[in-house]
Amino acid sequence: MTPQEKLRRFEEQISPHLKSAYNLAKWLTRSHEDAEDVVQDAFLRAFSAFESYRGDDAQPQNAKAWLLTIVRNTSMTWLKRNRNAGATLGFEEALDDPRDRSPDPEEILLTSCDREEVRHALEQLPSDFREAIVLREMEGLSYREISAAIGVPLGTVMSRLSRGRDWLRRILSTPKRLNPKEGAGLR
Amino acid sequence: MTCDDSRTYLSAYLDEELDVAESLRIQKHLAECQDCQQAQDEQLVLRSALRDPDLRAYPSVDFSKRIEAAVRRAAKEEARARRSSRFDFLRFESFHWMPAAAVLLLMTAVGAFLVTNSLRSSHQQLVASAVLAGHIRSLQPNHLIDVPSSDRHTVKPWFQGRLDFSPPVPDLSELGWTLVGGRLDYVDGRPVAVIVYQRRMHNINVFLWPNHGPIDDAIRQEEAQGYQILHWNGAEMTYWVVSDLNNAELLELARALRGH
Repeated sequence: MTPQEKLRRFEEQISPHLKSAYNLAKWLTRSHEDAEDVVQDAFLRAFSAFESYRGDDAQPQNAKAWLLTIVRNTSMTWLKRNRNAGATLGFEEALDDPRDRSPDPEEILLTSCDREEVRHALEQLPSDFREAIVLREMEGLSYREISAAIGVPLGTVMSRLSRGRDWLRRILSTPKRLNPKEGAGLR
Repeated sequence: MTCDDSRTYLSAYLDEELDVAESLRIQKHLAECQDCQQAQDEQLVLRSALRDPDLRAYPSVDFSKRIEAAVRRAAKEEARARRSSRFDFLRFESFHWMPAAAVLLLMTAVGAFLVTNSLRSSHQQLVASAVLAGHIRSLQPNHLIDVPSSDRHTVKPWFQGRLDFSPPVPDLSELGWTLVGGRLDYVDGRPVAVIVYQRRMHNINVFLWPNHGPIDDAIRQEEAQGYQILHWNGAEMTYWVVSDLNNAELLELARALRGH
C-alpha cells in the first residue's frame, strides 16, 4: 500500500467514525479536553496501525469497532496515567445485585426519562458499566465486538449491560428528593 | 423459567443476543408474567432514552479539521520516511558486499561511525543533534527552565495548554534525581516537553514527545561533544536524555524513566 493509498483508505474507512470516537472518549473521560487529547492520540495510533486492520467496504461496522477499541484503550491508558485510575476498582461490587434487593418503596414505574437526568445518571455509572452501555446503546456494537474491545468474556459483557441498565433504571425511577439547589427539578 | 432468570436474560433478549431457544423461553415467560413484562417496558423506555441523539457528545468542526490535518501530517511523514529509506544502500552498514573497498571505507567511515554508532537513521541523527543543541542552549543563563519547581504537581499542569499531549513527570527524588523544572523546546518539527533533573550539579535534560512510530525501548547510547545522549521509543513517548553526567548513572535514570 503506497502512503497515498493508505491515507485515502484511512480517510474513507476510519475517519467517518470520528464522531463515534469522540462520543466514546467523552463518555469515558467525562471531560471535553481529555476527550480531544484521547481522540487525537487514538487517531494517530490508528493511522500507524492501519496496515494491521483487515476490513473492507462490505463490513463498515468492523472499521468502527476497530477504531473504538483503540479509542477505548487509549482512554484507559490516559485515565490511568492522569488520574491514578481508582475509578474502575471495586465497582463490580459497588453495584449490588438487583436480585438480592427488595424494591425501594419510593421507586415508581419508569415511563419516561428526562434527558439531563439520564445524562447525569450515566455519568455516575461506574466506568466498567458505562463503557459497555455507551458501546451498545450509542454505538450499536454487538456483544462480540464489545467483548473484543474491552477484552472481557461475552458473559461479562452480558452481565455488565444487564446490571448497568438495571442500575440506571433504578436511579431514574426513584423520585428526586427535595434539594434546594435543584429547585427547578422538583416534582 | 423463573422471574430471576428472566430478569437476568431480559437485557440480552432485548439486544437480540440470545439464541432462538432461550429467546423463546423468555418470550413465553413474558407472555405469562406481568411483572417481567413491566420490567421489559421499563427497559424499552430506558433504551430509547439512551439512544437519544442529543445525549451524544459531538466533536467541534475545528477539532475535526485538526484531526484531519494531524492524520495527513502523519501520512506525509511516513511518505518522507519511506523515501529516505530507499537510500539505505548508501549507508555504511550495507557496504559489506564490497569487500575490495571495505578496508578503505572502514577507515574513512570510522570517524562518522563513532558519532552515529547506535543511532540508526539519518533522521535520528538530526533529532540527536537538535536535542543536543537544545541541551547546550539550555545551559546558557535563564534558558534551562520555564517553570522552576521541584514539585511534579506544578510542572505537569504547566505543560497543559502548551502542548497537545500530557508528559509524564515522575518523582525520582528517592533515587537521587532532583526535579528542578520543565520547559518547552522545539525538536523534529514539533513542540516537545523537557523535564530537567539534577544530580550533583549536573543538569539532565529529558526531552519527550508522543511516540507515533514503532515501540523499541532498548536504550541506545551516544556520545557527542562530551555529552551523553540516550534514546528509546517507549509505548507512549519517545525519550531523549542528554547530560554531561557519566554514562552509567544516566543509564540508571533512563531505566527509571522507562519504568514509569
